[in-house]
Formats: sequence, C-alpha cells, structure tokens
Amino acid sequence: MDLTPNDEQIALQTATADWCSDHMPLVGARSRSAGLWQQLDTMGWTGMTAPEMGLDHATETLLFAELGRFLAPVALLSTAVAARWTGAAGKAALALPAQEHVRILDGVEASRALGAFGDGLACFPLAGQLSSTSSLDQSTPLARIVCPAEIEPVDDPRALLHLQLLTAAYAVGCADAARDMAADYAKLRQQFDRPIGWFQALKHLCSDMAVRAAVARSQLYYAACALDADDIDAAFHIAAAKRLADQAALDNGRANIQVHGGIGMTDEAHPHLCLKRAHLLQFIVPAETAALLAA
Amino acid sequence: MDIGSSPEEMRFREECREWLHANVPAEKRPLDAADAIDFDKAWQRRLFDAGWAGINWPTDYGGRGLSIVQQVIWLEEYAKAHAPWIGANFVGINHGGPTLILNASEEQKAYHLPRILKGEAIWCQGFSEPGAGSDLAGIKTRGRIEGDELVVNGSKIWTSFAHVADWQELVLRTEEGSLRHKGLSWVICDIHAPGITVRPIRKMSGLTEFAEVFYDDVRIPLANVVGGLGNGWKVAMSTLSFERGTGFIADQVKQSQEIEELIAKARANGMIKDDRIADQLAQMRAEVAAVRAMTYRNISEVVRTGQPGPEASVIRLFTSELGQRLERMAVLLMGEDIIDFAYGSDDAVGDYLRGFAATIAGGTAQIQRDIIGERLLGLPKSR
Repeated sequence: MDLTPNDEQIALQTATADWCSDHMPLVGARSRSAGLWQQLDTMGWTGMTAPEMGLDHATETLLFAELGRFLAPVALLSTAVAARWTGAAGKAALALPAQEHVRILDGVEASRALGAFGDGLACFPLAGQLSSTSSLDQSTPLARIVCPAEIEPVDDPRALLHLQLLTAAYAVGCADAARDMAADYAKLRQQFDRPIGWFQALKHLCSDMAVRAAVARSQLYYAACALDADDIDAAFHIAAAKRLADQAALDNGRANIQVHGGIGMTDEAHPHLCLKRAHLLQFIVPAETAALLAA
Repeated sequence: MDIGSSPEEMRFREECREWLHANVPAEKRPLDAADAIDFDKAWQRRLFDAGWAGINWPTDYGGRGLSIVQQVIWLEEYAKAHAPWIGANFVGINHGGPTLILNASEEQKAYHLPRILKGEAIWCQGFSEPGAGSDLAGIKTRGRIEGDELVVNGSKIWTSFAHVADWQELVLRTEEGSLRHKGLSWVICDIHAPGITVRPIRKMSGLTEFAEVFYDDVRIPLANVVGGLGNGWKVAMSTLSFERGTGFIADQVKQSQEIEELIAKARANGMIKDDRIADQLAQMRAEVAAVRAMTYRNISEVVRTGQPGPEASVIRLFTSELGQRLERMAVLLMGEDIIDFAYGSDDAVGDYLRGFAATIAGGTAQIQRDIIGERLLGLPKSR
C-alpha cells in the first residue's frame, strides 16, 4: 500500500502544471485562444490515455487534477475516455443528455460526442459544425441538438467509471485553484492594518477549503488505485471521490468569493470562473445517493 | 500509488485476526475509568504476553520492532474484531511511550517503557491548565530548581485518567519569568508524590474520565526531566505529533463500522426513505472512505519520508467532526428514545454526549484550523 505519488509521477505532475501555467493560464479561461485545442493535441494531452500509452489511472488522476486546476477544456475528459475505450482519435465533445435534447459541451471542431446515457457510456457522430453559444462556464462553448437516433454504446462498464474518475480529478483541481486563489489573496490584501488572513474568521474559511481539497484528493487517489486494481468496491470509491470532489469544488468556489469580498463578486476578478466550472462539473456523471448507498 | 498488500503483510493480518478472534474478552469494558482500571490493566498484560503491545516499538524495551504498516494492520484488525478500547493505557501507549522513545535517556527508557507496555504503569497527561487549555504556551505551573530537585506548584486540568494513574507527563515552567514556549520542561511526575491532590471531574455523560490536579511543593528529581531542562516545548510537540498522526487509525475503522450500522438501522426503521437522511448517510459513507484514504496517504508518507506529512491536522480535524456527525445521526435515528438516557449508559446517546470531547481535547477544532491555515496555507500567525 502506498498512496503517495512516486518520483516519476511527481515529475509528470510538475511538467503538466508548468505547461498549463505557460500556455493555458486560468485567468484566460473566459476566452480561450482558438488554437488551444491544436496545441493540446500537439503536446499529446489529448491522446495520453490511449491504451498504447500505458498510463495507469493513478497517474491520470494526478495529471487531470493539474489540468483541472487551470480550467482546461472539458472535451479533454470525453476525448481521453474515447481514446481509451473506443480506440478513436480526434476531439470528442462532451454530451449531457437532457429530457428532449442533448447539450454538447466544448463541441467546436469535434467530429463526435461522448456522454453518459442511461447507466452506460455512449458515443455518436456530430453532423457538421455546431452553432455554439457561451455557457455558464465561460470556458465551455455550448450547443443543443435533438437526441441522436443512433448512439453507439461503449460496452465496457469501466468506461463510465473512467469518465467519472477523470471528472472528479478535474473537480479536485478546481477546488485546489479556488483554495490557492483565496489563500494568496488573504496574504496580500490588508484591512485594519493587517493581511486579512491574520483574522481567524478568514483564516478558518481558508482552512476549511484546504480540508475539503485534501479529503477529496485522498479519496481520488484511492479510487484511481481501486480501479487500477480491479477492486470490487471501485465503483463505490469512484462515486465517493466524485461526490467529495464536486462538493469541494462548489464550496471552495463560494468561499473564495467570500474571501475576496467586493472584488470577488465582479466579473473582472477570477473567483467566479472556478465557481462556474464547479457547477458544470457536478452534472457530468454525478454521484447519486443510491450509488453511494448500494451495498 | 497502489492499494495492494504484500504477501508478508497479508500473513501478518491473518495472524492478528486469528489471535483476536480467540482472545477478545467476551465481557464489556466498564465505562467509568475507576471501574475499568483492573480490566484495562489485565487486557494490556494479555496483549503484551502475546506480543501485540508495542508492535513498532524497539525490541530493547519489550516491543516487536515491526514496521508502521504492520502497526496499522494490527489496529485495523483490532477495531474490526471489536476488541476493547485500551482505555487507561491510552496516554502511555500513544503519547508517553512514543515521546520517551524519541527524547528520553537510556535509564528513563529502560525503566518506563516495559512497564507501559505491560500495563503495569498507567500514565496521564499534564498539559492543559485552568487558564490555558488549548493555549499550551500559556502554562503557569512552575518548577523551582532546588539542588537536584524541582519544587512544583500550580495546577492542571482535563487530565484524563489522573485519578487512576501512576505517572504523569508534566509540562511546567522551570525558568522563572520565561514567556510563552520558552523556559518549559517535560517531566516524568510520580502522581502519588506528597503534595499532589487529584479531584475527579464528572462529564455530562455521567462518567468521570478526567480530573483536576493540584501541586503543592511537590518534589520531583531533576533526573526525571526528559529531553533537557528548558526543552519542554519541543518535547511536547513531538508528543502531540503522535496524537495528531497515527493515533487515530482505530477511530477510522470504528467510523466505518458505525456508518454501516447506521445505514442498516435506517433501512430497518424505514427512515432511509427520507431523502435528506439518505443523502446525509451517502455523504458520510463517502467521507468515511476518504478518512481511510487520508490515513493510508499519511502512513505512506511516514514510510516514504520517515515523518507524517503536514496534513495530520487535516485528518485530526476532519475525523473529529465526522465522528460527531455520525453520533448526531445515530441519535436522530433513535427519535424520542433519546429521552430515556440514564447517566453513564453505554448507548448511542452516551456516545453522542462523550463525543463532544473530540473537537475540544488535544487542541480544539478552532486551534486545528489555525494550524492548517498557518502551516499548510502559509497565512500569517494570529497569535
């Protein structure tokens, strides 16, 4: 048993964080450059979960948490899962089925979409260019289409767990980003002649953010290892990871705005970017109460 | 990262399980410290004789010299077997002993460690004071040096098991006029020494598990100072790092049993059909899983680097609050039967009332939040 990353994993994690901060800073999340996906593709981020890459789920969660910390495009999640379980390359948008239509997230230049339909994962081709508008999460273009007539189910039930796990990793990154933004601001911003982080009311808000992020990250690692080990409880552990990560991302998103005070609720500042992303992630393979209570 | 066990670890786990299965006492441990003391001593002796006391303590002092992972396996199996809480031996096994191993002289270790492991010597803590509590550096109890002795005056409070103890890990001010964490010493105090008065305090659960201790010209040999005069803060911090680190593994297994029992109970009485209750149970089940993951991560950190990571305070805080949420849920599922509680009884209400200690003892939840904010996030010190 060892739930700490090894040296190689830490090196990959650091390299990912460095690349993200250079090419995809969080502060640019509301208007990503048109060439970003191409860059991600060239660097290999879109294909890193393909079977021939031989990356285990534990390493993936480390890297996706870093990508999530910078609010990377959500199509990386669907593309990664498609690469592992359908063998297809190229951008796959993320599909969120609703009652009478399907929301297509981050579908620009995608030829197909992938999402959870019923209790399994399915793929379908996208016809032509979608007319996308902006969504709550400004980094994610949104389009609506009618339910496709032919969807192709992905046979392996682990594919759905994989999407849930990677989305949990994104949410952990999002919770981390909000925590760090809040702590940095609390060290810098002065009120009553002191940094606001001196005051316990603010310090404890920040500490709770750290606790939520740490709890979610530990469970994320455990869940990834359970999936790698084909553990019989893997589905539960992944659902638990998703639940805790979603909550950490949402609660930290809210707390971050509070720590920032007046500037925190403006469009100019960045805290709302994390909150909005957290709201989006909670609808991707949510961890239902029933799944967590199943024996 | 992986969650697998080696064949050697699996064999060890099996060995633990078999012994516990054959040896866990059928009778329950009495709840009140004074009633439980004989039980606690006898159980500790039985653990020692069979080689289960001090699994990762050095063999020179009666331990087994095994790894921390084996210690964790033992504690997990211990909790799963519903073995009794070590009770009055808690301070000696979890604080005093490990502190002596790290800081004490050869004579001190040779005398005290085997006695702790055998359950012959009961230890209590002597950190908190009426005016200090979680502000450990606010200690006022003083020890004046006279020849080769310390003459101690002052008082301590919230001292668990003081009324049944033999020895006390006493932190006092040995440098007159010193401030905060300077000028303190960590001393082994014979609690039966002349001049010591112990007044047991009753808790709201009806139990007397802790006491107030008064010192009136108590004489302690200077040879009982651990880690050198004036180094008390450093020694005390090493004591607390045990408390905040691996000392809570058994709690974690206990919590995973509690949540399963709560879910079963809510299914049985139909309350699980209430969406809010189902949601809270689902949430707590996820949180209990995360506590195990955090504990494993912390242990992995100890194995890899030799010391627990800075997140030990996170585990401590989260576990204590989660425990209280579980206890509140148990009481909620009881409904109006909570009214039937009798002082000192061993039921969900008793656990609930006793559980208030979790976010106060060993540094309040608020102090833990200060520590997390300052050490983990680097926020400025409030104190």
